[in-house]
Amino acid sequence: MNALVLPHPEPKSTSTLPAQPGVLVVRKHHFLVRWSHWLNVPLLLGLILSGISIYWASPIYQHKPDPNTGNTDVAADIGIWICTHVPGLHHYNSPPDWIYNHVSLGPGMLGPALRLHWLCAYLFMLNGMVYVAGLVRGGGWRSLLPRRTDLLDALRMFRYYVGFPFAKLARRRWPHPVFNTKYNALQRAAYFSVPVAGFLSAATGWAIHKPMQLHWLAALFGGYNAARVWHFWLMWIYIQFVVPHVILVFADGWDTLRSMIVGWSTRVGRSEVVAHEG
Amino acid sequence: MKDKENGDDSLRPKDKPSTGVEPKQETPELPKAGPEGTTPSASMPIEKPKAGGAVEQRVDADGSPSSSVDHKPRTDEAHPSVAAKSVSAKKPQSFFAEQTPLAIKVAPRILRYRSRRDFLLFGAGALAVLTGGGFLLPQDTLSRIGVRRNIDSPAKEWFLNRALRIDDDVAEVLYSANRSVPTYTRSQITPLKNNYNGATPDPGYISGWKLTLDGLTSGLNISLDIQNLLTRFSVHEQITRLVCVEGWSAIAWWAGLRFDDLLRAYPPMSQAKWALVESSVNLDGSGNPDPYFMSLGLATARHPQTLLATHFNGQPLTVDHGAPLRLLVPMKLGLKNVKAITRITYVAEEPRDYWAERGYSRYDGI
Repeated sequence: MNALVLPHPEPKSTSTLPAQPGVLVVRKHHFLVRWSHWLNVPLLLGLILSGISIYWASPIYQHKPDPNTGNTDVAADIGIWICTHVPGLHHYNSPPDWIYNHVSLGPGMLGPALRLHWLCAYLFMLNGMVYVAGLVRGGGWRSLLPRRTDLLDALRMFRYYVGFPFAKLARRRWPHPVFNTKYNALQRAAYFSVPVAGFLSAATGWAIHKPMQLHWLAALFGGYNAARVWHFWLMWIYIQFVVPHVILVFADGWDTLRSMIVGWSTRVGRSEVVAHEG
Repeated sequence: MKDKENGDDSLRPKDKPSTGVEPKQETPELPKAGPEGTTPSASMPIEKPKAGGAVEQRVDADGSPSSSVDHKPRTDEAHPSVAAKSVSAKKPQSFFAEQTPLAIKVAPRILRYRSRRDFLLFGAGALAVLTGGGFLLPQDTLSRIGVRRNIDSPAKEWFLNRALRIDDDVAEVLYSANRSVPTYTRSQITPLKNNYNGATPDPGYISGWKLTLDGLTSGLNISLDIQNLLTRFSVHEQITRLVCVEGWSAIAWWAGLRFDDLLRAYPPMSQAKWALVESSVNLDGSGNPDPYFMSLGLATARHPQTLLATHFNGQPLTVDHGAPLRLLVPMKLGLKNVKAITRITYVAEEPRDYWAERGYSRYDGI
């Protein structure tokens, strides 16, 4: 993962072209992949915000009515807990709505939420197709396929990440495991599973949107009610993916972030390594 | 977009067969003994680039001054045979194997130009999405995050309703008159709550209840009482799932006459495509009259599982469930299943719809 900008002309090069000033770059992301990657940000945000507003209308996780408040919704319980325990929120005017006021379009907005959800969902599916087209055209799909060695390599990466802060504190050297692939095993697992989750989200979405015409699809996920639970938990895959994803991109450096905008990277180490070995 | 693609292609020599670079060269892990070792590149001697090794590529994206980009010969052309010697424990090359990227030398000026262009595009796109997305958010949500201005507009309504229409059209395409909705056994029945949107009407209306049919071929208005209906038509039973737009659902045991039988007995006028199903006894939340009206395409009304239900769980309908006659159309959302129907009017044009007027979709096919 070393940013390597080699000086022009290669001393060993037998090229007959006159030496030119140049920066070595490698193509990293096809432009369709880049555009669909960024479009996922507003689309997933819209889907999650409207989705939680839809959830409000009929929460999956309910209990017997609370004797005092009549509340049945676990998400409302969490809001009440937050308002009782977080300083500064004790006078929040509607604790049961706290969750819905902060991570959705708001309570009591089923109609507008459904409208936005369908809009974002259709765009999300289109965007997913664009992403796959970009992976195919750019050949990037090969870098995402899981490998047999991934389990062991993932453990090495996991060990690296867990040990990293301690090594920093102890000012100990903590070398990054070396991989001769575009992504390490953990990245591959993440970047492979998120598109799969996207596909499953769309499939479970259709199953609960059209449970009669597509009842076979709902049955595939264990029926209508089970498909709702699937759809809800698939959302958490994106949430738990995004947080480390963003942190690690910034930790990895400017080149990585830039490559998702411009498509190329100046980290040519991997394509150079082989030549040097000769 | 096209410009962009061209620009990218110039950074991607592997996709240009004219450059003479074989795609397979990108995978250096190729062992000599491998079956694919017959590719020309694999047998190339070290440090001897192929004819296309140093390629002049025009990078005139957007008509900018072109400049040449030369491959580093040793980055790709030379290494396959080298790699075979020096890199051990590599998988044999296959269609699924990751390809080693080609390093390309690009003039700094071109790179700067490209970066600027891509960042400007990215910024413009982000700005457009931010404004567009913010514009589409409901006014209530915006007020909650501190946007004072009212940005509701006809354009916004039009756009969002357009998305709803597309979804409605998809539902119509998915619908098949020949497809039955799943049916269940009695052991699978689940409780069904009283989900009257407003107050539950006083049962007083039941004694004088009549169903009025309008828009018939005969040109007459027909009024039928519940005894008429139950004696004239055969009663069908079904245990189906009722799905609410809110997300909950209930498996319930219904019985009643087929809508299709009523349509045969009292044929609608020939140009009729729709039924307007109304309940005049519906109340709003504070108990004031709030007539409920629903559009239903006649194709759906003729489906054998579309009932005018008179019984629930083997008993005559209670007030909660729309006594004495309710619509049961399991291939539509629950909100189409009008309780205590008082009037059915057959019309040629799509009629009004209670929830469509309140921002929900019109057809609600599920």
